[in-house]
Amino acid sequence: MDVQTLVMRDVDYLLALGVLVVGLVAGYLVGRLNARLLRAAGVPEAVEGTSVERTARRFDTSIAALLARFSSLVIYAVAVVLALAVMDLVDLRALWYRLVGYLPAVVFALAVLVFGVLVGDKAEVVVSERLRGVKVPEIGVIPLVVKYGIVFVAVLVALGQLGVATLPLVLVFAAAALALIVFVAVATKDLLTSAAAGVYVLLNQPYGIGDRVRIGETSGIVQELDVFVTYIEDDGTEHVVPNAHVFEYGVVKER
Amino acid sequence: MSALKGLLGELVTDVDALVAFSPSGSYYERARDATDEGDVDLIVVGAENTVGADAFVELPLEFAEVTERVRFGIEGALDSEYVADGDDVACVTSVFDDGVDTVSRVRVDAERHSGVYDLFVNSRADPAVIRDVLDVVIELGQKGQKGKPVGALFVVGDAGKVMNKSRPLSYNPFEKSHVHVGDPIVNVMLKEFSRLDGAFVISDSGKIVSAYRYLEGSAEGVDIPKGLGTRHMAAASITRDSSAIAVVLSESDGLVRAFKGGELVLELDPEAY
Repeated sequence: MDVQTLVMRDVDYLLALGVLVVGLVAGYLVGRLNARLLRAAGVPEAVEGTSVERTARRFDTSIAALLARFSSLVIYAVAVVLALAVMDLVDLRALWYRLVGYLPAVVFALAVLVFGVLVGDKAEVVVSERLRGVKVPEIGVIPLVVKYGIVFVAVLVALGQLGVATLPLVLVFAAAALALIVFVAVATKDLLTSAAAGVYVLLNQPYGIGDRVRIGETSGIVQELDVFVTYIEDDGTEHVVPNAHVFEYGVVKER
Repeated sequence: MSALKGLLGELVTDVDALVAFSPSGSYYERARDATDEGDVDLIVVGAENTVGADAFVELPLEFAEVTERVRFGIEGALDSEYVADGDDVACVTSVFDDGVDTVSRVRVDAERHSGVYDLFVNSRADPAVIRDVLDVVIELGQKGQKGKPVGALFVVGDAGKVMNKSRPLSYNPFEKSHVHVGDPIVNVMLKEFSRLDGAFVISDSGKIVSAYRYLEGSAEGVDIPKGLGTRHMAAASITRDSSAIAVVLSESDGLVRAFKGGELVLELDPEAY
């Protein structure tokens, strides 16, 4: 090995070291800048109370800090790859095209995913707060459905970014959902009409337990109300009246 | 030692059935073998049939009072026709700790029916609802309202009729709400509302229909022990006029009493739970 190649090697090492240092510094600064930007944009307040934020808190960090850290990490990774390329340890051109072609999509997909989970969580919190006034314990399902709906869409968008063919996924999901809806609607047609009427009856309580009412042919004292039916008792006979009848025939309150 | 065994063995000679209260798995197996040998029926009474016994009576409440516990078990066994009127049964249960430590010999007497089993199983309301109400009342009796003893009256079941035989004393705090006894938040709510005057009305399925009700059952012909106050009288009379049951927490002596059909069927000391 002659002197010239040795010197060239050393210069390469120095250059690589320089690239690495610049990358580290830039990554750190960008991370700090992002953390500030996120704070200025009010992200910590917006994600307050979501389950993701609570999980992050348990590890003594926060969503804003994690996002900022992530942007630093991406720059660190690029710097390391560049440094390796300068030292001719990896074939830059082959890698470069892949990296340039793929990295933004990955970063974007991850960002969409995080954003989707955050928005889903936040929506869950907002919806459940809005529903707090409704005193039905089973109402807790609705915020969950909203949350997972949003997360599902975010996952689809993220997968789309990565070039995964999501169309079949969407189609399968849509077909399944449609089949389920049609099946449920056909199978429980009467229950659904009763339930729709029952929701109105329960929320507005046009009549309550103890009232003497007449619904269609049946009359008596209301003993029990639920979403689907009303129990009406008259001289020891108990009538179970579907709530749909309430809208079909109307209710007569007898005083 | 054998003389002692003979003396105590008399307790279980010629019994028709053995009633085991919440036995452990190993105790149940030994009891099953022993009863098979002696041609005696074995009846298990407990909160859950964990041992898979054929003859089982569900105990809705872990009665601290042994007499109540035994009475409930025997009335349940009688109702399910595991035992017959006039049978002698031996009851094994625990009084001091978890293991079986007590044997008592009881003659089944259909006449002296206290109705405690009937109260839970054959009432209009769900047994689980009655149990939940009793739990709340017992807790209320233990802790009171901010340390002070409180009284309370819960009318459970047949809510339509009860509502028509009562009138509001003030606005109903449970209007347009859909809370049920047994929901975790409800215990706190009921405790807070127990300072209100009047009765709570609870439907067959456990929905709290109203608080602040003044009961207007007719007290005519209601016979309850002397010394009990107006609250108990109101409870007894409303249960006579409807098919509801009533659970009362006495403010003066702190006892929990249950009424059905105008009669006192159960008396519990909340401090024992």
